[in-house]
Amino acid sequence: MLNEDRVILMTHMASYECGEGKKNVKIGNYFRSDYIAIQVLKALLCGTIAYGIVFALYIFYDLEGFMQDIYKIDLLGFAKNVLTWYAISVLGYGALIYAVCTIRYARAKKSLKRYYQNLKKLNSLYHEEV
Amino acid sequence: MTGLLEIREKIKLIYGRYEVFILPVVKFLLAFVVLNTVNGKMGYMTQLDNVTIVLIVALLCSFLPTSFIVLFAAGFSLAHMYAFSLEVAVVGLCMYLIMFLLFFRFSPKDSLVVALTPLLCSMNIPYVVPLAVGLLCGPSSIVSLGCGVAVYYLLQTVIASVPGINTMADSEAVEKIRLIIDGLLGNKAMLVTIAAFVVTALVVYLIRRLSIDHSWTIAMAAGAMTDIVILLVGDLLYETNISVAGALLGSILALAVAKVIEFFRFCVDYSRTEKVQFEDDEYYYYVKAIPKMTVAVSSKTVKKINTQRSKGTAPAHGTALERPVRQGAKNGKGGRNAAVEKSAGSRGGAKGRNQSRNGGRKGSGRSVTIGNIPGEAGNQDGTMDFEELF
Repeated sequence: MLNEDRVILMTHMASYECGEGKKNVKIGNYFRSDYIAIQVLKALLCGTIAYGIVFALYIFYDLEGFMQDIYKIDLLGFAKNVLTWYAISVLGYGALIYAVCTIRYARAKKSLKRYYQNLKKLNSLYHEEV
Repeated sequence: MTGLLEIREKIKLIYGRYEVFILPVVKFLLAFVVLNTVNGKMGYMTQLDNVTIVLIVALLCSFLPTSFIVLFAAGFSLAHMYAFSLEVAVVGLCMYLIMFLLFFRFSPKDSLVVALTPLLCSMNIPYVVPLAVGLLCGPSSIVSLGCGVAVYYLLQTVIASVPGINTMADSEAVEKIRLIIDGLLGNKAMLVTIAAFVVTALVVYLIRRLSIDHSWTIAMAAGAMTDIVILLVGDLLYETNISVAGALLGSILALAVAKVIEFFRFCVDYSRTEKVQFEDDEYYYYVKAIPKMTVAVSSKTVKKINTQRSKGTAPAHGTALERPVRQGAKNGKGGRNAAVEKSAGSRGGAKGRNQSRNGGRKGSGRSVTIGNIPGEAGNQDGTMDFEELF
């Protein structure tokens, strides 16, 4: 026999599973530290590639001047400068991603908790009927 | 207002019923308009500047996820840049890669914002985007908004640098790259617009979440004013040549669109606001409940009427158990009766439930009940119901 409350609950849960829940379940499969570490590592990788692209554009922007001065400039100082900027930008980006992922993980866990409560409620509705 | 609410409910009902068809059509139209705009503004690769190709790609986009519209639009613009100049295409590719690697990670689902922002910018009505983003999306969507504006100005820079690059020789690759990068980084209008849109979206988002009456209306008005003020201040400081009349008219139009969005998304009746206060073991609760404005939509529902058996239709033999059913099914005489009545249904979900209770799975389907003989295992009144949906 159809139980209206159960159908409503199941519809809500199915809708959650198809939409936001899919993403949250993926996040919820990780421990907090693992999830954040993976995301930050991805961010560092992406940040490194992006920095490489920006650096390449910077070099191409004044390629002639750079090639003319390449034997005159202090290469060690230049490398130190480049690495400092790399550390500032990529680590800053990593810190931003860390903050975002911490909030996302907390939200996903909270949302999943509500989902599991609904699962329990659904289970109890089945038992009541039996 | 009641008429408008009824129309809204009907639109929701129609959308809910035909969502499977409406969404692909909308995606197709959006992709078609976006790709046509890219072709119209750039159009350096003649092979791509073809309605057939645009139609095919738009058709592809209609059943692919929305992010593919952005992907195809980026591909089209890069192809046009490549046809114009390899160096320009390299700079464009670098820009897209940087955006993809650094920014789209924050809100990968906001591809619609990235697609719509450059489109509306090119139509000179971009002011609606920050208001809509602030009303409908979260704070992370401002990243997509900024990216959309940057893409628009990248394409504008490329288009503006065409005469300059055409005069350069093929060997002047570095100069071409420098021209595009200078044009992009020195574009104060881009920076001012990004700042204005981002701040506007944040202001709208923050105000509309406040627990005050008419928060959405206040948010959109404050957002529109913030947008205009930042654009004007930016114009004064950096001489960005932003049209003041255009910004004002655009903001008024944006307010109108935002009101429509509010009507569909957050239509509440503040006159019936309830404030309740209660407590449990751990907390005190101060709850403000504002009822949504809803109206019952009149719709056709189906009422089952059991067969009225006339004299002489009772079976003479046990084998006649199925006879009335067959007669009814074949001849449509005496054995069945159908009635359709008009009743007030409630909103979406409740209506669906009403329909299922009444046996009509398809919204406007008619249900016919065919009676059976007494004594047959079935319903309490001795009939067994069969339903046909038309």
